[in-house]
Amino acid sequence: MTVENMSAPRPAPGAKRPGRRRDRQRFWQELGMIGPAVVLMAVFLIAPFLLSFWTAMTNQPLVPRPTPVRFVGLLNFQRIFSDPLFWTSLWNVTRFTIWVIPVQCGLAFLTALLLHQKLPMRNLLRGMFFLPAITSMVVVCVIWGTLFQYPSGPLNQIVGFLSGGTIQPIDWLGDPNWAMFSIVLLSAWQAYGFQMIIYLAGLQGIPDELYDAARIDGAGPLRRFWHVTMPGLRPTHVFVLVITTIQAFKLYTQVAILTQGGPRESTETVVHYMVRSGFAEQKLGYASAVSVILFVIVLVIALLQRQLLRRFDV
Amino acid sequence: MSDLALSTTAPAAIGSGKRGLRIVQFVSIFVIALVMISPLFMLLIASLKDDRFQILADMGSFRAFWVSDPTLSNYREVANFSGELAYGRYLINSLIILVMTVGTGLVVNSMAGFVLAWGTLRGKAVLLAIVVALYVIPQESIIMPLVVMMSRAGLTDTFAVQILPWVASPLYTFLFYQFFAQLPKELYEAAEMDGASTFRIYRSIFMPLSLPALATVSILMGIESWNQYLWPTLVTQTDYARPISVAIATFFGQDSIFWDRAMAASVLMMIPVLILYLAFQRWFVSSFVGSAVKG
Amino acid sequence: MRISMGNRLLSVLSASTALILMAGSADAKTVVTMMHQGDPGWVKAYGDVAKRFEEANPDVDIELIYAPHDAYNEKFSAAVMSKQLPDIMELDAPFLANYVWSGYLQPIKPLVDKDLLDDMTESNIAQGTYPIDKDLYAIGLTDSSVVLYGNKKYLEAIGARIPKGVDDAWTREEFEGYLDKLSKLDGVKWPIDTFRGYGIKTEWITYAYGPLLESAGCDLIDRKTWVAGGTLDSETCVKAMTMMQDWVKKGWVVPTSSGTNQFYAEGQPAALAMGGHWFYAEASAAMKDNIVVMPLPKIGEKGVSPNGTWIWGISATAKNPEIAGKFVSFLLKDKEYRDYAKSQSAFPGLKSFAADSPLYAEGGPLAVAFEQASKTAVARPPHPAYPTLTSAFMQAVDKIFNGSDAQEALTTAAQKIDEDIEDNAGYPPFDEQQ
Repeated sequence: MTVENMSAPRPAPGAKRPGRRRDRQRFWQELGMIGPAVVLMAVFLIAPFLLSFWTAMTNQPLVPRPTPVRFVGLLNFQRIFSDPLFWTSLWNVTRFTIWVIPVQCGLAFLTALLLHQKLPMRNLLRGMFFLPAITSMVVVCVIWGTLFQYPSGPLNQIVGFLSGGTIQPIDWLGDPNWAMFSIVLLSAWQAYGFQMIIYLAGLQGIPDELYDAARIDGAGPLRRFWHVTMPGLRPTHVFVLVITTIQAFKLYTQVAILTQGGPRESTETVVHYMVRSGFAEQKLGYASAVSVILFVIVLVIALLQRQLLRRFDV
Repeated sequence: MSDLALSTTAPAAIGSGKRGLRIVQFVSIFVIALVMISPLFMLLIASLKDDRFQILADMGSFRAFWVSDPTLSNYREVANFSGELAYGRYLINSLIILVMTVGTGLVVNSMAGFVLAWGTLRGKAVLLAIVVALYVIPQESIIMPLVVMMSRAGLTDTFAVQILPWVASPLYTFLFYQFFAQLPKELYEAAEMDGASTFRIYRSIFMPLSLPALATVSILMGIESWNQYLWPTLVTQTDYARPISVAIATFFGQDSIFWDRAMAASVLMMIPVLILYLAFQRWFVSSFVGSAVKG
Repeated sequence: MRISMGNRLLSVLSASTALILMAGSADAKTVVTMMHQGDPGWVKAYGDVAKRFEEANPDVDIELIYAPHDAYNEKFSAAVMSKQLPDIMELDAPFLANYVWSGYLQPIKPLVDKDLLDDMTESNIAQGTYPIDKDLYAIGLTDSSVVLYGNKKYLEAIGARIPKGVDDAWTREEFEGYLDKLSKLDGVKWPIDTFRGYGIKTEWITYAYGPLLESAGCDLIDRKTWVAGGTLDSETCVKAMTMMQDWVKKGWVVPTSSGTNQFYAEGQPAALAMGGHWFYAEASAAMKDNIVVMPLPKIGEKGVSPNGTWIWGISATAKNPEIAGKFVSFLLKDKEYRDYAKSQSAFPGLKSFAADSPLYAEGGPLAVAFEQASKTAVARPPHPAYPTLTSAFMQAVDKIFNGSDAQEALTTAAQKIDEDIEDNAGYPPFDEQQ
């Protein structure tokens, strides 16, 4: 068996044509299996989201008001595109995404590799590494708010100690130049467990035979890693990358709790911008327009990513 | 056993030397783990402090990581099962919601993922792209229309309203698709030649091989369901179906945050999810894929 | 494996259906719903009051709906959208005008006991009044204020004058002089904490910094024409904001990320604290009697202090407004509720409650705060555009404190506010008010 078998699926219909009746039966079975998911997603995701396409073209407030709801065409979009804060928020999430992917996925990949070994008390270790991922974001923000404290919080003391006092205390969350980076650190720490277990499942999917075969061929640990582990994980890498990108673009909770988009708009994100205009300022139409724009942008990025990666796949 | 992803042990090294190496390995990974979770000690320490003003005063310094006279009084106060805020009740509600969401979610999403990976339906590729696209939608942008829909359907303040919207998930359908697609096509073809129906291939061949994927989805979905906050806040009115995450928000009040009890409650809230994780991650250990292919 | 799982699912499903059906069985009692926020102490207090009320009125069932503080607005919106507005609701005073204008509240005067109305302080009436019809739409037991807390030792060390009451509050010159002196004093890291650490989500900035602008002689919006342009971005406001920006630039103000405890944390690094009445409890727990409580300084001619807190209104859709009013009256008079409020050093909004609160009584440590409420309190602009107003102002302050040009930031905010008012056709009849 070769590595080729592990790559993307090409489920060719069997060599023999199994007959029309079987085709019909298969069709209905497949429909029945995918049906529940399609129906549920249509009701709970697609329907409300289609509504927001319509809302985006009205001046609808969050809650009904005495003034009538009017169709305003593309006015909301026009306003969004001419608001410098929107462009700032878009740039900010892009920065966040570019930074958080290597940190978070790298951390997840390394810990998954560490834990995918025969170790004494492996369950304990796996449990420990997974703890941050099950901590609620509110608590994570409280903890990191303390770690980040300026000028004498624990993180600054550690940096000062390691640098022998040459590095001045950093205002992690209060300095516009540092705030987004600090959010990256916190986010990666909180969420790496998520990608870690996806990697663990991926590692589990690589058949032992491949390792055995490589070992018989005289491959050392490093070569086995490059020639067995990495190719075997290729689909997992693609999956993790696409998922993490989408998640990163939706950045909201940490920012809402810790910085509310400040200081000086340096952590304003698109979803935070949307929630502020929709909930705090009660402009549901405007907020819907923001969500439509975000949807289109992220979708394009995600699909491009998949296409690009698929090209490298072969 | 596949313990060799990045194993530093050479295959020839057997015997006592190997054992020593294992211990060194364990200790170093343990230390790394301790460093990684060290921020969480602050949570634990604060939950053992009796005086919420003291917790406030200690914040932002290393004293947040030290307690001189630990007490369990916060835990005792939080873990009450009667009265105006009966956390026991909320805990059970949360568990019901979690079990139902994950239980139905596993079935619904894995079936959909299977058809996307191996089915012959036309327009499969389009469906897959739509699934990815749906994951892009932020929850915050559909929550208000959804509230209106649910109240029109008369589902406010029920368990159903907290379960149904999150059963079918683009993320987990995609994850199952990814996992099934990774399995060798000989598996599918052989079963098909034997005359097995699509559902049978899914149930009897692919599902038993998918324990790691099932575990992953159970864990991730469970955490997501457990930590749902905004949605249950909006769609529950009374204690009847209110989950623990909303109840705990009382500690994060208006003028004064009850850090002492908030921390204890947060620690307690982590325990069920940790148990869930430990229970399911055992499924990572046994890999059937290799043997199935061989056989 | 799947079959047994299916069976289990089915049994859980049917069990929960049974529960739902049971919950649906109605009794003949009149149900009054009340939405509220608050920490576990308050939740328990409301529950107890409801029980006592139900004992006294066996045909009434009070149903409490808890909504977390940080998601209260969202919860309120969801209730409106799904037509499930509670009969009684707790609301944050500055949002009252928005709610009344939108038609969610009804006048509360005819519904609550007359002796309670007579018992309200000036400031409490102000926070519950809708400016168009000058009618009262909400009532509360409590109110709020912001004062200047001082570290006694530091103030003595620089020889600062300690004001005796609201009338001899520090002037701007005195205030800035002391800040300067404090910045050079040993042990003082920051002369003042203005609680930037509360962030820009919690109303704090509009609530606490707005009065400084008003004291300087301008306002967040012109309260006659309801136009922000020309007022919020006027020279007076720009100067006042630039003054605060200078304090930040000079390193006089505790930074956002240094927490909210620097006044009393180890070493007491902040010398002054411009904090809410609730801050007294945590500060005095750590500092004992090393605290002096002073009125807010006068930036311009007159002193101005904030007010307003979470108060009770009766919704326009209430099925039994009389009974709802009866419960509100019962709640506000309830002795144990008042005792709990007192234990939380709540700021009195009723005269009888003030007389019973030693903390705020003549000679009490927070007497100055209570004096402010009757002499200098100004409510936040009572206008339906308030949600946008406060959001825009908070963003502007965040930018200014982090180095942006004050004129530019305030102009952007004013434009955003005026745009919102225009979009809503001037929020009639606010556009006709002169």
